Amino acid sequence: MIQLIFFLFVGALLLSSLFFLARRGSRAEGNAHVLVEARQALNALQLGLLPHELVGRIFADDDREYVASAAPGPLYELFLNERKKVALSWVKQVRTQVSSLQRFHLGAARFYTRLSLRTEIELAWHFTALLVTCRALQCLVYVAGPFAAPRMVGTTATVAARVCEISEKSLAFLNPVQFGPLANRSVGL
Amino acid sequence: MDVQQAREDLSRRTLSEIARPLDRLIYLASMRDYNTGVYHHDGLASRFTDEVACEALADCHREVFHQLVVSPLEDLVDQLEAYRKSTHTGPHEFLTAWRRLEPYRVAVPVETDPLAAEFLFSNFKIALAILEARLDSLPAELSA
Repeated sequence: MIQLIFFLFVGALLLSSLFFLARRGSRAEGNAHVLVEARQALNALQLGLLPHELVGRIFADDDREYVASAAPGPLYELFLNERKKVALSWVKQVRTQVSSLQRFHLGAARFYTRLSLRTEIELAWHFTALLVTCRALQCLVYVAGPFAAPRMVGTTATVAARVCEISEKSLAFLNPVQFGPLANRSVGL
Repeated sequence: MDVQQAREDLSRRTLSEIARPLDRLIYLASMRDYNTGVYHHDGLASRFTDEVACEALADCHREVFHQLVVSPLEDLVDQLEAYRKSTHTGPHEFLTAWRRLEPYRVAVPVETDPLAAEFLFSNFKIALAILEARLDSLPAELSA
């Protein structure tokens, strides 16, 4: 009887350590996933969604003026619908990528970088403002069209760029350049 | 460094002869194998290597795509009209084919940002509609 209790105890101990190890493993994998997701979000924002030229062109009033003068009527409607689709897609994607960066900062960022309290507060404020502005912009574009709020578009792009700048610092440890001296040292060996 | 030299060589010898970004985009897209996504240019490959030539062509393709994405709509309409004329295709035939087949969709470089591609496709759609409206407003003998 005592032996049975002993083996049951050992079995339970082994099972719980297995459970603990499995949980630990999945957390590490989860962290890597958050890092990859954050890096991808940052790239998508910096290279795809926020370049000034692209944003300026999507919401360019000169295109609207051109179509209004060159092809009024149904063609103008077509133009507005097309631009509305692209503008909504832009706002939605900015919002998605910003949410992804926010998840990274709320969860994993503190393990990899040390941001000052001031930067953390600034970041929290930017994230909140951005997500609210994106929602408002989405509604506005949907109701009043893509040319209704040019200043709001500008503010969204500027604040998102600032968030990217801070996130870039948090993810700087992933940059291969940092491993340069280490690589040189290993070559020297 | 080699890629940069190959790019300069390509720009100097070939792309400088093609005036409009739209024509350049179509030319560069035609250098790409549809099955592998690899670019081929015998002349460039013989001066450099296959890999360097491929990289240089891909770089130029991305650059010209970006140029078109940020072009004003008016400019795109003009380029499309000029391209149509250079193909010696009748306007009705050209516009019908481009509207139905949307050939510009296969002219996009690999790993292009989806939003930029979506934006350019949308601009092509509008540009084609503008050209069609222009054509419809012309007298029958002029539009033929």
